[in-house]
Amino acid sequence: MMSRLVKKSPSLCTDLPLDTTDICNKLNLLRQLLRSCFGPTARLKQVHNNIGGHVVTTSSSSVLLPAISSSQPFINLIKTSILNHVSRFSDFGLFAAIFCLALIEQTKQSGLRGNVAIRVNKHLLALCSSYLQGEDCGCKVKLDFCSSHNLITLARSIISSKPACVLTEPETLHISKLTVQAFLLTVPCSSPGTVSLGKVVTVTVEGYSVLNSAVFPGLLVDMPDGLCLNKVNYLSNPLQMVLFSSSLAGDLSELGDGMIEVHPSVDTESQILDQLLELGKQVVADEVKLFVCQKVVHPVLQQYLRSHGIIVVERVGITVMEPLIQLTGAHPVATLHAKIPPKAYGKVQGLSMRQFGSKTMLHLQPLGESAICTMVLCHRNETMLSELKVVCQKTEHVLRLTLREPSALFGGGCTETHLAAYVRHKNKNEVPETASVLGCSQTEYLLGVEVFCRSLESVARALQHDGGYSLIDLTHAHHWTLPADVMEEHMEDSFGLCGCGLVESSPSKKWTYIDTKYAEFSPAPLVKDCPIQPRVLDSFIAKLSALQVATETANLALDVRYIIQDVS
Amino acid sequence: MLGSTIINHRQHVGLQKLSALAGILHSCLGPNKKYKFIQDDGHGESALACSCFRIIESLELTCAVGQLIHETIRAHQKVYHTGSGCLLFLAGAWSRAALDCLHRGISVAHIISAMSEGMDICMDVCRKSAISTEGLGVTPLKRDTATSHRLEVQLSEERITNASQASCRLERSTKVDHKTLNISEQRKIKLSRHFCETRSDPPPRQPQLPDIVHIAEALSHGCDDAMKLVVEAVQMLSKMNQQDVSHSMFDITKVVTCVLPGLPEQHACVVPGCVVLLSAEQAAVALHLQEQHLKVALINGDFSDTYRHLGFKRLKDVQRVSDRLDLSSLSREDEWVEKVVRLLLNLEVKLILISGLASEKVIQHCCTHHILVVEKVKASVLKTFANSTGATPVTYATQLTKRYVGSGAEVKIWRDLGSRGSKSATAVNISAGMSGGLVTVVLTSCIHGKLQALEDQFWACAYRLHHALEDRALLLGAGRTEMLCIHHLQKQVEYHRERNRDCVQQTTTATAANHYRGVVLQLMAEGLIDYISTVMVNTGKFSKVTARTVVSQQLQSYNGHLGVAAELSQLFLEDEKEDSAVFSEMKPGEARAAEIYDNLSVKQEAWRKALDVVLLVLQTDAEVITGVGHKSDAAQENVLLL
Repeated sequence: MMSRLVKKSPSLCTDLPLDTTDICNKLNLLRQLLRSCFGPTARLKQVHNNIGGHVVTTSSSSVLLPAISSSQPFINLIKTSILNHVSRFSDFGLFAAIFCLALIEQTKQSGLRGNVAIRVNKHLLALCSSYLQGEDCGCKVKLDFCSSHNLITLARSIISSKPACVLTEPETLHISKLTVQAFLLTVPCSSPGTVSLGKVVTVTVEGYSVLNSAVFPGLLVDMPDGLCLNKVNYLSNPLQMVLFSSSLAGDLSELGDGMIEVHPSVDTESQILDQLLELGKQVVADEVKLFVCQKVVHPVLQQYLRSHGIIVVERVGITVMEPLIQLTGAHPVATLHAKIPPKAYGKVQGLSMRQFGSKTMLHLQPLGESAICTMVLCHRNETMLSELKVVCQKTEHVLRLTLREPSALFGGGCTETHLAAYVRHKNKNEVPETASVLGCSQTEYLLGVEVFCRSLESVARALQHDGGYSLIDLTHAHHWTLPADVMEEHMEDSFGLCGCGLVESSPSKKWTYIDTKYAEFSPAPLVKDCPIQPRVLDSFIAKLSALQVATETANLALDVRYIIQDVS
Repeated sequence: MLGSTIINHRQHVGLQKLSALAGILHSCLGPNKKYKFIQDDGHGESALACSCFRIIESLELTCAVGQLIHETIRAHQKVYHTGSGCLLFLAGAWSRAALDCLHRGISVAHIISAMSEGMDICMDVCRKSAISTEGLGVTPLKRDTATSHRLEVQLSEERITNASQASCRLERSTKVDHKTLNISEQRKIKLSRHFCETRSDPPPRQPQLPDIVHIAEALSHGCDDAMKLVVEAVQMLSKMNQQDVSHSMFDITKVVTCVLPGLPEQHACVVPGCVVLLSAEQAAVALHLQEQHLKVALINGDFSDTYRHLGFKRLKDVQRVSDRLDLSSLSREDEWVEKVVRLLLNLEVKLILISGLASEKVIQHCCTHHILVVEKVKASVLKTFANSTGATPVTYATQLTKRYVGSGAEVKIWRDLGSRGSKSATAVNISAGMSGGLVTVVLTSCIHGKLQALEDQFWACAYRLHHALEDRALLLGAGRTEMLCIHHLQKQVEYHRERNRDCVQQTTTATAANHYRGVVLQLMAEGLIDYISTVMVNTGKFSKVTARTVVSQQLQSYNGHLGVAAELSQLFLEDEKEDSAVFSEMKPGEARAAEIYDNLSVKQEAWRKALDVVLLVLQTDAEVITGVGHKSDAAQENVLLL
């Protein structure tokens, strides 16, 4: 071994990183980038490698953030914590990122001491959390599972917030209904005891109209060479099936690295093939009718099995394995060197072929009730289809979260403005006490409250992208928008409904622009049992978590004193 | 070192790029295409291309918009094989429209919703003006013959129009003037079976294929020679398959092309069977096998000892350790070849079709045993052979047993092309007997660089006919569908304008949006006008200005005579005669021998995809470039590093 020739260069240490312009500029750039992706009228981003690689057009944080890599640890810190939130709750990644970055930026601009800001933020976060979780929360609705209406509204709010899907109104509605239907299919009806939810498997078909998308109970797996299976349709008795998770390609891929020494006369390949055929014989003897493998099946084994009337499905992929196990009750076989135990076999009720555009798929119907379903998503081109897939999976996850907490928050920025108004009002009378508890001056505390509330409101404002105005009404503190070209005198006529669609404009209402100072007031709760349903709903759990993640990440960033970078 | 780069779009560079890209290909639009040389300065190579798809393919675009266009066109081409030029042109034209809207201060949201509305209008026009292919072929299009039958036709027409007009009135929405659609409705009736029955004239030229010939002619779009080959292929296929001729009978998977350089273009022809080029050595084997019924084996993949099926992972570090030196034994490859050839001889296989490649050694060995090995066979050909000979494709030759071998294949020397340069080649015809047979279209040209374009043209024509039969409907060609769309878009503009005037007092956002709507729809219509006039310019008979004047004149006179339903089509026919066939490439003296039609699904899909691209690019305000080295790109303008 040669020793290193390059001397290790000394580490780079940055003191008070948030005070350097370079880092501030980069954080600001990131905020602008993500802010422009927020909401239904967002601007899209093209992600590509500039050397002719695939182009992804997106506005989803779950696609965009992984593509962003930076030499700046601050950016990576924020990115990682947002992505972590997204992986757990799917929704509100952009919300969390924008709020977090706004909080950092506004705190810096306000000149507030870092440790004071951190304490104030913590206090206000606790205040917000307890308000949102409390019974008297004025920006929350209970979800009623007796009707699918609110669920569809929730789904629709998420789907319509991603313009890169390029959906028309009827298409959006169709997809929203499908995701709700798929979600409902994953909830088992009649299993006593602990309920475990099923799974939605998403299959995409390019070049087909969105309205052709559909949901099927059971599982659809790709059959690239559908021609071998013409006689499958009539099978409807319970069929024995086997599921392999190991590769049956006939190679020695499981051996791992290292040198292997073999005698020249030994033919490893034919030995493995013999083993495979041995396996095939057992399968035939055990009257298996469906043979599924996660990976590749050797053509010779396939030929052998087919010649015995067995349907072979190979390369189903890891994502389908779990649903397959749930659907069939099979235990995946991970080796080809032992006999298949009888209890490893699974059962399916019936099989049929389904054709979707260019795709031929085998439809596996479960024996008895199963909470597995397949969602076939169609769209005209690849870019829009991949975004649609991301959005639908996210929606399904959010719908699932409603089972944990059957509530939803007002969407369209109304929760943010409402929360800001609540925080301002709540703190009016308690400034001296809270300031002394937090160990800061009253001015500092009030400044901190203002920073927090403005950051919240800036997220609501981020929904505007065409130079329009964001306003707040002075009764319910909901969020209202005005297009850029509306004349001052016609303002009142231009308000239709607030962001979430619950409050209607009326001559008695007063509005003020967000970002102007207004006399604090207690946001009036809406009349209970009012017949109007909100048009835009946000996931309760996801938003609450996003709020927490954003505040805590911002606090951590504000707390950083040094950055030490190994530059060698 | 990885970094992300963000490019700020001022002035919407993306839309400008899109429009510029489309601009390159203006001369590729319509029946009169011009060839382009694409040169690689680095390597001194060049390519000759004339279709939009080929040009985009050889341009190797690396920018995001270019890549997006490339992906869209590739996806379109894969399914439709035609219409890419239209797609790209409209993407360019509508991106200019969108840019114009942005300059006028219309918000992105308004542009999107208005353009989507415009697309809905156009799709609706296409759907409603589509003509059924049923009975299309029997219409006399020369007007002089038609006149004598007018009376009878009108009689039968009367009944049907009454009924259908009543029903179509039901569908009418109030805002769009549907009267114009009556042309197509009447046309549909005029071309209906009723008319066919009243005619006692001599039967059509091709009794068993009445409409296909006609439809094909109408869809040739200037590629008359290629379309002739398509028709021949269709006729040959249907004759071979002994099926009664009905519509969706053009199985395009049964057609193969074989390009022969060095022969003049007139030598192009259609041959039953599958013609392939073979080396002299293999041709000798073929000669030996002529006039025999051969046993055939089909192999999916390569035919060599080192080939393994997809997904097989080879072991990297294998050392063969032996306790004694063995010099006498054969190499592994030799052993494999011997084994395979012995197996083939046992099974009496004389012909092997392989989708991949075969190793030199195995070809030689097979040759000495008079076994013909054909490489690079298309999957569809393999499938046809499997169906008609009873053979089953296998991955490895060693898998072959009696039940996987088919029989009844034939081999015939089709033409000896003599030696070209160093290699000599012989065209050999392989067929699977008469049942379920294949048809080869042999394309020839003296100019090697043109062969690709000829092949593309042939496939474009073949797919046009295929889609027409699949859709069972056609659109009026020669720009008439576009004219109808323009007309309806402008109607809608008018409608919005009037509504704005009515409620001028209330300046609500709704009317503001409506005002924008009119502007956007007008700009969209202008894109279509641009399309028509560009096609006209490409005929070489018009300047840009006269083309636009002609189009706007026609639109105006069309608007003026809304009462007369048939006016538009008449106008067009008249006009085409006068201006010596505006859109179609006709030989002089042959004013108009045939109607021109377009494909319904292809056009709809191309338009929709064009708008999709425009809307995606319009909404994009930044590019995130992954994996940028700080040194390489940081110097670039407009690039911000995160």
